[in-house]
Amino acid sequence: MIRKSHCIYKSTKLIHVLLEYTERTPQDCTTTTINSIMITGDFFVYPEESLDKLEASLIGTKLEEYPVRQKVQQWLRGSQVFGFDSESLTKAIMGCLDNGETKI
Amino acid sequence: MKSISKSTTDTPTLRLYGWFPTAVSIGYFQSMDQEVDVENCKKAGVDLVRRMTGGGAVLHDSELTYSFITREYPQNILESYSMICDPIITCLVNLGFNEVKFAALNDVVVDGKKVSGNAQTRKEGILLQHGTILLDVDPEKMFTLLKVPKEKIRDKVIDNVKERVMGVNRTFDEVSAALERAFSMKFAAKVLVDNITTKEISDSLKLIKVKYGTYGWNWRR
Repeated sequence: MIRKSHCIYKSTKLIHVLLEYTERTPQDCTTTTINSIMITGDFFVYPEESLDKLEASLIGTKLEEYPVRQKVQQWLRGSQVFGFDSESLTKAIMGCLDNGETKI
Repeated sequence: MKSISKSTTDTPTLRLYGWFPTAVSIGYFQSMDQEVDVENCKKAGVDLVRRMTGGGAVLHDSELTYSFITREYPQNILESYSMICDPIITCLVNLGFNEVKFAALNDVVVDGKKVSGNAQTRKEGILLQHGTILLDVDPEKMFTLLKVPKEKIRDKVIDNVKERVMGVNRTFDEVSAALERAFSMKFAAKVLVDNITTKEISDSLKLIKVKYGTYGWNWRR
């Protein structure tokens, strides 16, 4: 089942996450994964283009705290962010699980 | 930035300008539809644009906007913001304000109230920082054109802005002259006043057509 969700999370700055994910049912052997993600807000990222790379790297990632945090932390090694940290962005992404609306 | 990147000289450039018509700019990472009441802006004749810098949505109305471009800057991002906000502080002190401070990352405050917001980008070894010095603030107008987060109440948001933000209540010309002197002092440089060249205007119009005026750019997020 494909779901979409929008989560707003207040860190130092505001983070919006628009997420589409495939939710696996208990009968499936695979896990819930990210299909697409868009992260928006009034934060600063340097270099700016690197946020696109984070979003691309999250596609196909299991929507679980550990793998999401790993990807965010890896990304932060090459980027500078003012407005959120790895913990707050991970929470913003995982917060989408609470708000999922069925798309298909 | 494009002019300097192709230029044979490395002259830092300070631009001072206002906006007509009133416009809203959003930060590079923001979503136009999340932040802006596009319909109200259209009805009011307010232009919309996405900046190439991060930060929040700004209503460009009663303010002085500056942009500063240079090849010489600290690599540390916080230090570079502080360096370029320094002349803004000097400008405001010289206009008679007390308790003027840099509030990291990107604000200048007077008595704890924000009077200047700034944003920066770096491309091809060139730093661009731009920002505003508010001359006057109209929160009611602001939140007719900008969206109030749905979990907040409009009146409370407006009251909150009145407490946290202020205009300097000086004319554009007064602030412009004071800021120009402050940049000159900070960088120990003589300011050579010039106008935008015909080529720069032509290049700008091309950039509006192919990038900054397009739906693809302004609604990219």
